[in-house]
Amino acid sequence: MKRIVAMNSLTLITAFLATLLILVPFDASAQKPIKVGVIDTYTGPAAVFANDALNGFKLALDEINKKGVLGSKIEFTTRDDKWKVDLGMSVAKELVMREEVDLIVGTINSAVTLAISDYMKSEKVPFIVWISKSEHITGSKGHRYVFSTGENTAMAGKAGGVALAKKPYIKYWIAGDDYEYGHAIADAIWRNLKALKPSVEKMGETWWKTGEPDLIPYFTSVIGAKPDAFIVCGGGMTMANSLKACKTTGIHEKIPVFMHTATDHAVLKPLGLEAPEGVMGTMDYHFYYPETTANKAFVKAFQDAYGAPPGFPAFHGYITAHFIAEAFRKAGAIDKEKFINALEGMVIDSPGGKIEMRACDHQAVLPFYLGVTKKVPQYNFLISGDIVTLAGKDVMPSCEEIMKARGK
Amino acid sequence: MDFSAFSSQFLVGLSRAMILFVVCGGLSFVLGVLRVPNIAHGSLYMIGAFATFTFSKLIGGSAGFWIALILAPLLVALVSLIAERGLFCHLYQREHLMLLLFTFAVSLILGDLVKIVWGAEYRSVSPPTLLKGSLSIFGASLPRYNLFLLIIGPLVAIALWLFTNKTKIGKISRAAAVDREMVGVLGINVSWVFAIAFVIGCYLAGVGGALVAPTASIIIGMDHSLIIEAFLIVTIGGLGNMWGALVGSLIFGVTQSLGVLIWPQFAIVFPYMAVVIVLLLRPKGLLKSVW
Repeated sequence: MKRIVAMNSLTLITAFLATLLILVPFDASAQKPIKVGVIDTYTGPAAVFANDALNGFKLALDEINKKGVLGSKIEFTTRDDKWKVDLGMSVAKELVMREEVDLIVGTINSAVTLAISDYMKSEKVPFIVWISKSEHITGSKGHRYVFSTGENTAMAGKAGGVALAKKPYIKYWIAGDDYEYGHAIADAIWRNLKALKPSVEKMGETWWKTGEPDLIPYFTSVIGAKPDAFIVCGGGMTMANSLKACKTTGIHEKIPVFMHTATDHAVLKPLGLEAPEGVMGTMDYHFYYPETTANKAFVKAFQDAYGAPPGFPAFHGYITAHFIAEAFRKAGAIDKEKFINALEGMVIDSPGGKIEMRACDHQAVLPFYLGVTKKVPQYNFLISGDIVTLAGKDVMPSCEEIMKARGK
Repeated sequence: MDFSAFSSQFLVGLSRAMILFVVCGGLSFVLGVLRVPNIAHGSLYMIGAFATFTFSKLIGGSAGFWIALILAPLLVALVSLIAERGLFCHLYQREHLMLLLFTFAVSLILGDLVKIVWGAEYRSVSPPTLLKGSLSIFGASLPRYNLFLLIIGPLVAIALWLFTNKTKIGKISRAAAVDREMVGVLGINVSWVFAIAFVIGCYLAGVGGALVAPTASIIIGMDHSLIIEAFLIVTIGGLGNMWGALVGSLIFGVTQSLGVLIWPQFAIVFPYMAVVIVLLLRPKGLLKSVW
């Protein structure tokens, strides 16, 4: 009898321990937060955009974590790639292998993005890109594990082409940064413009090295060439320097100038009221446009948290977080494959209206706002005025074109 | 290509050469007297530009820029004096490779300091009212500010010439450039001569930074793009030779702006091609190197 009792208690203890063993991991998985690795350039000139994106992402997470996702929270950890491909790759590996993140977001440098994207494909970990603008990311080099919540060169180029095709200019001069981004934008604008309006002709091209501080010699030579319009393609710093060169040389008063992101607040703000008026540009987000309640609420929350209005990267960071939360909710589990299935074709409400994550190429469908730099009484900097909205679907390459680029 | 386009391009190139000269003159002076290949020179140029932004914003108006043009280089001189007394003066006897690594480290530290103090955003300084807009010279349109640079450049050259040839300290520093032991033997405190020479060289970096501020956006990273050009210029001019720095700057600035006119797609190649040609023909630089 005693033996039976002893046996029974032994069985009970074993059963209890076994139950614990089974329960503990279950319990841990219910409490386990969703881990997001953030890789971006937090050193050098690009840091201004990377920090803005991160702030937008953090703001959204604060809202999301109040309610929670699948009874858990979204946590993140950041890594600086210092604009370097090798460093970006090593921190991506570290995040996947050691930190065991559920997904990676970030990256402003397209070369870093493409390298990480390739690695994520082999590791089968989702990767959401929020600033890098190479059209190859979700175009020719796209795959199941990579997404983009930012615009890209194909979209910006098509927006530029659509915008300029409506203007009466025939003879164009194109200039820009002599690296992939500058050339990709220029090619995309020209390809689309030429297709929409075959009568246009290119008088010439000028390319300067990335980061060239003084663009005045380049601009004075274009004034001498007397084209009907002048297109400038380059990164944020080139936009700022180009606007300065416009003001100094007065080129925009003689020749209409189109710079695809001239109307970006990060570019216009430092110049204050000294920025040139009447320069055309396209952007996918402005904190003052669209004038909707959702956008105003987002801008106010961002302004209160970080003391400055959100730029386009903040908008991308913000929608990235919401896409992540919604996709995990829809997937119903912290599972990478289910997350991807849920994210494909998902539509979320954003400060910029409804935004779809297109299923065929994993590219967010973003509208473009075509405007001209303009002084307004309420701000001590220029804004994008006379805005014409180009719908996202009109500036995106079609799914067929994407599949063709991917060789499928 | 018409004549007005050519002359406007030439003048813009000349004015760009003037900023390069002011910076490279300082770099060359330090190279000549102290034999220090100072990579941090670019960072001091950047600090000059950022300080110009701060001072001109604090003071405001058109006077802001002019006062900043005086104060910003002085701030740079102060920073360089601290660096010289605290760090550089202990290292003059080291070999060049060590100095190169050391000054590179200093440039990274200064770069991060700038990021901490001023942040990563673009900054912009507008030219004073007097220098806004363009002028027409021989049918060529030239921004007024660039005309101002064309005047400032030769003034700096004259001031440097007067300093090195007419003042005692200038003469001593020239002598120290040729034979520093001999200067020490003559009972002159070489340490302070070096400090003064270093501060003057760095002051010029500050002036360059202040002058460039209204023409470009001020941003972290502007130091690296400049320092490479600056070293090329002092190398083709002849290391440590002030007039060499002037000649080198003129070659660099003018080939760049004329290159834009002649073959715009490959404009970036022109100044570097000029450098290659000069170095092939005269490996030690165009003018006499003090090294």
